[in-house]
Amino acid sequence: MTAQLVLLALLPITAGLALLQRRRLHAIIGMGAFSLLLATVFLLANAPDVAITEAAIGAALVTLIYVLAIRKTGRLTVAASETPGLIGREGEQIVGLEWEILERLAADVGLDLVVQFASPEEVEEAIRRGEVDIGAGGILASECGENVLRTSGHLPTARFAVAGPRSEPGGKPAAPFRGELADVIDAVRRGAPVSATLDLARFLALSRYDLDAYAIERVEGDEAYVFVLPPSRRDLHQRLAEILARLAETGELDSMIRRHFP
Amino acid sequence: MVGLNGVTISVVLFGIGLLGLVLRRDLVVKLLALGLVNSAVILCLVSLGARPDGAPPILATPAASAIVDPLPQAIVLSAIVINFAILALALVFVMLLVERYHTTDSHRIERASAAEED
Amino acid sequence: MRRAPVFTILAAIVLVAGFCAVVLTGFGFREPSAGDIDAWADVARRTGAINVVSSIYLNARLFDTLLEVLVFAVAVLGVHFYLTARGRPEPVESIPESNVVRIAADILLPPILLISIYVVLHGHLSPGGGFSGGVIAGTGLLLAAIALGTDTVTARLGPRLLDRAEWGTLLGILFLAFAPIFAGRPLLSDLLPAGTPGRLASGGSILLYNALIGAKVFVGSWVIVRHFVDHRGEI
Repeated sequence: MTAQLVLLALLPITAGLALLQRRRLHAIIGMGAFSLLLATVFLLANAPDVAITEAAIGAALVTLIYVLAIRKTGRLTVAASETPGLIGREGEQIVGLEWEILERLAADVGLDLVVQFASPEEVEEAIRRGEVDIGAGGILASECGENVLRTSGHLPTARFAVAGPRSEPGGKPAAPFRGELADVIDAVRRGAPVSATLDLARFLALSRYDLDAYAIERVEGDEAYVFVLPPSRRDLHQRLAEILARLAETGELDSMIRRHFP
Repeated sequence: MVGLNGVTISVVLFGIGLLGLVLRRDLVVKLLALGLVNSAVILCLVSLGARPDGAPPILATPAASAIVDPLPQAIVLSAIVINFAILALALVFVMLLVERYHTTDSHRIERASAAEED
Repeated sequence: MRRAPVFTILAAIVLVAGFCAVVLTGFGFREPSAGDIDAWADVARRTGAINVVSSIYLNARLFDTLLEVLVFAVAVLGVHFYLTARGRPEPVESIPESNVVRIAADILLPPILLISIYVVLHGHLSPGGGFSGGVIAGTGLLLAAIALGTDTVTARLGPRLLDRAEWGTLLGILFLAFAPIFAGRPLLSDLLPAGTPGRLASGGSILLYNALIGAKVFVGSWVIVRHFVDHRGEI
């Protein structure tokens, strides 16, 4: 009798924990455990028919079918630096133009996507060492180094030189500012003299903040955002290029761009 | 008294399943929560017929003092199997949705379909 | 910036908790009366089956079970239709399982099928019946499909056999329900005699119904499982 009460009390705990999981696989396994617990409760409540049926279906078939449906046979690791509009976190989801393109690629090759966020230098390092499969996050065509595979640009952009209130506008051209956007915002807020060169996405994000007047100047040259891949993943590079070409052809790329950069 | 406890727990489970169905964004987790609601209803029906000193509804047991109510169990038995078949059909629909919208996030699917209607 | 959904979550929790409280306080729980339960036990003795539950849903309330089998068949048909309309993904590579799974499937499959046949045929004597036995057999075939691949399993079973079994069993169940008319008895009643309770040959037509429903659920769950194994990883 007390065993029954204990099991009954365990039921909502198991179900609640199972539904709160972040990864889908963990939630499915949690619900399989819940089904088994429920079958035991039925057994102790003198309902053996129902217990057999629930155990056979809930714990075995349903769990197996869910796992078959979401099971992919490998992973694609992506290193990205957070760029609003291109790839960024929103709560527990990841959104952005580049994220959507990457999702198409993952669905195409049938792999799971795993994203690590890092600073642009770390992304470059990881690609150079071949630790990750794709680098993303507002990488400019002119900035990525040698020995990496690049895709053709999927979004043309431009670079802007931003100067804080105390530095002189049109001063000496600064080296490209490598670092998080938050640092730039901090520096401008503090009024420190800063000269940075930002690309379009980061610049648009910057302009959403309420900062003191800063001078801007467009730097010459056309740029485009690209993905970078280590030279060992030539197959992935080709698939990605195919997908980008197909998206550009059907005009879907344009609608995606318009959705993220209104 | 196992019957009343079972009914209480089943209502709590129903509430948890309902919350999971509404608040989680992932479609697969929404389906899992719907399955939890099914299981809660089944638990409620079975525990309505349970008795504290009952015996399983098989007449061969010699101590057939008082068997538990067999009617809810009979009702529920085929419901479990049908739940499984309907769940498989729902997973098929989720596959079709994912093929169309490339995501399992319900908010993004709603936004994408609203944008398509314009 | 997006509005944080904390308010939505709190509102949802409060509303659902209120709903649960209303249901729990307004619920008049009453223990089942002994008279009702004895009536069901008498029904079971009349049919000759020992398992009271199976004598309810296969004899007294057979009509509900017929329609539920029909719902199951339609759901299986829906899965089959939508997933064959999409075409099979090319190439369907087999799941890279280790040899352990393959050998375990070879060893385990015959006992699983035997157990499922036992559960189905003894549905009127001990817990089980057509539904659970059919599902057990379907799970066994799923194991075989994971280890050997769905093509092998379908080839060994024979694709024509599967199609015919799916609709043949449904027709068999319906025919069995209408057949008592030819013997002069009302619809949905027993064909076979009650027999002595406790033996395998007892319980009237419950044995036949269990066998047919077991076959139907087995074939139906195999169809579902085969399509899911073929189209795996698509979410």
